[in-house]
Amino acid sequence: MCFFPLFRSKENRLTMGLPNASGDLSTEVEVDAFRRLFPLRFYEKHLLESIRPDARPLGRARETTIALALAKIGSTTMLAAIKMEVMTPSLETPDEGCIAIDFHMPPICSPIVRPGRPAEGAPVVAKQLSDTILSSGMINLKELSLVSGKAAWMAYLDIYCLDADGALFDTALLSAVAAFSHLEIPVVSLNDDGKIVLSEEQGLSDREPVNKEKRKINLSSVPFSLTCVLHKNYILADPTAEEESIMDTIVTVVLDSSSQLVSLHKPGGTVLAYTSAIQDCIALTRQRVKELQKILEEGISGMEVD
Amino acid sequence: MAAKPGSAPVTYSPNLGQKTRPPIFKDNDLDWVRPDGRGFHQCRPAFFRTGAVNSASGSAYAELGSTKVIVSVFGPRESKKAMMYSDTGRLNCNVSYTTFATPVRGQGSDHKEFSSMLLKALEGAIMLETFPKTTVDVFALVLESGGSDLPVVISCASLALADAGIMMYDLVAAVSVSCLGKNLVIDPVLEEESYQDGSLMLTCMPSRYEVTQLTFTGEWSTPDINEAMQLCLDACSKLGKVMRTCLKEAASASQE
Amino acid sequence: MEVDREDGRSQNQLRPLACSRNILHRAHGSASWSQGDTKVLAAVYGPKAGTKKNENPEKACIEVIWKPKTGQIGKPEKEYEMILKRTLESICILTVNPNTTTSIIVQVVNDDGALLPSAINAACMALVDAGIPMKHLAVAICCCVAKSGYVILDPTKLEEQKMKAFAYLVFPNSVRSVLPEGSLRVEGEPIENGIITSVTHGIMSVDDYFYCLERGRAASVKLSDFLRRNLQQQSTDSSKAG
Repeated sequence: MCFFPLFRSKENRLTMGLPNASGDLSTEVEVDAFRRLFPLRFYEKHLLESIRPDARPLGRARETTIALALAKIGSTTMLAAIKMEVMTPSLETPDEGCIAIDFHMPPICSPIVRPGRPAEGAPVVAKQLSDTILSSGMINLKELSLVSGKAAWMAYLDIYCLDADGALFDTALLSAVAAFSHLEIPVVSLNDDGKIVLSEEQGLSDREPVNKEKRKINLSSVPFSLTCVLHKNYILADPTAEEESIMDTIVTVVLDSSSQLVSLHKPGGTVLAYTSAIQDCIALTRQRVKELQKILEEGISGMEVD
Repeated sequence: MAAKPGSAPVTYSPNLGQKTRPPIFKDNDLDWVRPDGRGFHQCRPAFFRTGAVNSASGSAYAELGSTKVIVSVFGPRESKKAMMYSDTGRLNCNVSYTTFATPVRGQGSDHKEFSSMLLKALEGAIMLETFPKTTVDVFALVLESGGSDLPVVISCASLALADAGIMMYDLVAAVSVSCLGKNLVIDPVLEEESYQDGSLMLTCMPSRYEVTQLTFTGEWSTPDINEAMQLCLDACSKLGKVMRTCLKEAASASQE
Repeated sequence: MEVDREDGRSQNQLRPLACSRNILHRAHGSASWSQGDTKVLAAVYGPKAGTKKNENPEKACIEVIWKPKTGQIGKPEKEYEMILKRTLESICILTVNPNTTTSIIVQVVNDDGALLPSAINAACMALVDAGIPMKHLAVAICCCVAKSGYVILDPTKLEEQKMKAFAYLVFPNSVRSVLPEGSLRVEGEPIENGIITSVTHGIMSVDDYFYCLERGRAASVKLSDFLRRNLQQQSTDSSKAG
C-alpha cells in the first residue's frame, strides 16, 4: 500500500479579500480577525455574493480523490481497511456472512479529539455508516458464505479518519465503498481439523478450495452521499468543519446508483427544512452521485493499470 | 461493533499457521539473508513528508518499508488538565495503532509504554521554555506496523514538531538494532523483531551529536553494545540528513 | 387501498396515546408518554450551572442521557441521544439562560416500535412541564413504507421489522396565533410543514419519502391537537388544585 496520494492535493486555502461589501477591511489580518470574531457575519457576506470563503460556489463539493481505500474530500481524509476472518454463521442465517463496521477518530485527526476519550461524533457516524452500508444492499451477505452452516466470512471494516475537516460521513462512506471494490478474497480450503485456512500457506493447494469462484465481492446499487448545510435560504454542499460549526443545520442525503433513497438524515438544527429545500438537497446529491461514480471508476481502473 | 446486535461471533484468521522457519543463526550461518534482502547494516529507504494533516498545527508522514506512521502536533495550546502554573511548556505524547496495523486484528494496542518513551525521546530536544503555561500535544498513529515502529514514530514526530514551528535544538533521529545470535541487524522488520535475542534503540540529535534516549532489552555483550551504538549513531546521522532534506523541500515548495 | 394490520388499525390510524406530566417529584419537569405498548419516561433537570465541559457563555446547553430498558448503552443509543439533543436544541430558546445546562433523562419503559418518536414527544412534554422556554413544540411520528409501496403510520415493533423502510419525522406543532395568517408562512408554506428532524432507515424511492412526509404531516396535526388538549387540561386541573 502506498500513501502518496495523501499529499497530491493539498488544499490551497484562499485568503481572498472579502467581496466589495466590506471594502474597508483592507489587510488580510483584519479579514482574519473579522472571520474569527464574527464568523456568521463573515459567511453571510460571502453568501450574499453566492461564493464561499474557499472560492467555491454554494453547490460545489471540494476536490475529491480516491486511491485504493484512501478517500479525500477537500482535506478530510479517510482510510478504510477490511480484514476477513472466518466465523460460524448463526443458526437463523446459515448461508450468510457478516460485516462489522467501525469508525475511528484517532487524536491525530482533529484538535478537538483527545486520547483516552473517544470523539463524541464517532459512534454516531459508525452507526450511520453501518445502517447505510447494510441497508443499501450493496453487498449480498450470501456471497460471504463459505460452507453452509459451518463457515462464513466476517468482514471487519475499519475506517480511520486521518484528517477531519467536515463531511466526515461522506468521506467515510466513499472510502468504505472503495475498500470493498478493491477487496480480494484469499483462496481458502477446509483443513483436517475443520478449520478454514489459506490454501497456499498450508500446502493444501491440491485440495479443492471452498471459494474458487468467490474472489471478488459483487457490488450492486452502491450508495453515495452528500452532506449539505442549510442557512436561511442558502444550501451549501459539502461543508468544511468551519461551516458545519457556524451553521448548525446539516442534511445528509444518501442515494444509491439507481437513485433510490437510502437515507435522509437531518438531526435537528435551527433551520426547518421545507419540501423545496429537501428537493434541492436531493437534486444536488443526484449530481454528486454521478461525479463520485466517475471518480470511483477512475480510481479503480487507475489502480489496475499500475 | 457487531453488525447484528446481541451476537458477537467468535472469529479467527485463516492464516493461523505462522510460517515455520528453520531455526536461524547457527554459528556458521553467515550467509543468511534478511527477509527483505537487505545487508545486515543497511537501513530501509526512508520516505518522509510534512503537512499530511491540515487540521493539525504540524504533521508528518513516514514510511520505511511497510512501517507507516502519521504524527500530528497540536499547540502550543491551553493545558487541558488543570495543572499548576509552570514556567516551561509541557509536552504530551500518545501513540496508537490502527486495528489493521498488525497481522492479527486489534493486537497493536499493547504498546502503552511507547507514549512515555516518545515523550522522553523528544523532551530533551524541545525548548520547553519558549511556550510557558501551555501544552504541545504530539499524537502518533501507526497505520501499518512493519517493525522498528517506535524509532520511526520518534523520527516522524520530530519532523511534525518542526512543521508546527516548535523550537527545538535539533531534529531527533532514531534507529534500532536487533541482536540475532552473533549478528547485529539494523532497522529490523517485524519478523526479525520476533526472533531477536536483544534489541537496542538509540535516539539522538545528529548535528549536536547528543543522545536523547538509549534503551536496551535482552542479552548483550559489551563489545556488541559498542558496535551497536556506533551503528545507530552513523545511521541516525544519515537519517537526520534525509529528514532535513524533507524539511527543506517543504519550505521551498511553500515559498513558490 | 385496504391494508391488514395485526391490531386492526387503518393505515393512518395511530395507536392510543397517553401522556401525563409532573409524575416525578425530584425532577424539575417530567412526563410519561405512551403510544400503544411503547412507553417512555422523560425527566428534566435544570437549567443548572453549566459544567466545565458544556460551558457556553452565549447559549444554554442541552444534554440528553438515554437509559435503555435493559443493558448498557451502545451505538444506537448514542445516535438517539445525539438526535434528541439536536432536536430539542432546535425547539428551545437557548439564549434566555446562557451558561447553563439542562439535562434530559429518557428512560425506556417498553419498546414496541416508534421508540425514538415517542421519546421525542415525551422529552418535549417534560420540557414544557419544567417550564423551559421553547419556540414551539416538536411532534414526532414514524412512517413505514411496505414493499408494495403503501405507507402505514405509527408501526408496532413487529410491523417495523416487516417493512422495507421507515422514516422518523419531527415537525413543529401547528401554531395558533393572533398574528395574521401570512406572517406564519415561510415561502408560502405554513411553519408546521418544515421538518425539524428526519431519520430514515432502509431503501425507498424519493417519491415514497415525499409521500411519507405528506402522511406524517397530516398525522402530526392530530398529534399536536392531542398535545394541546393535554396541556390545557392539566393546566386547568392544577389551577383548580391551587
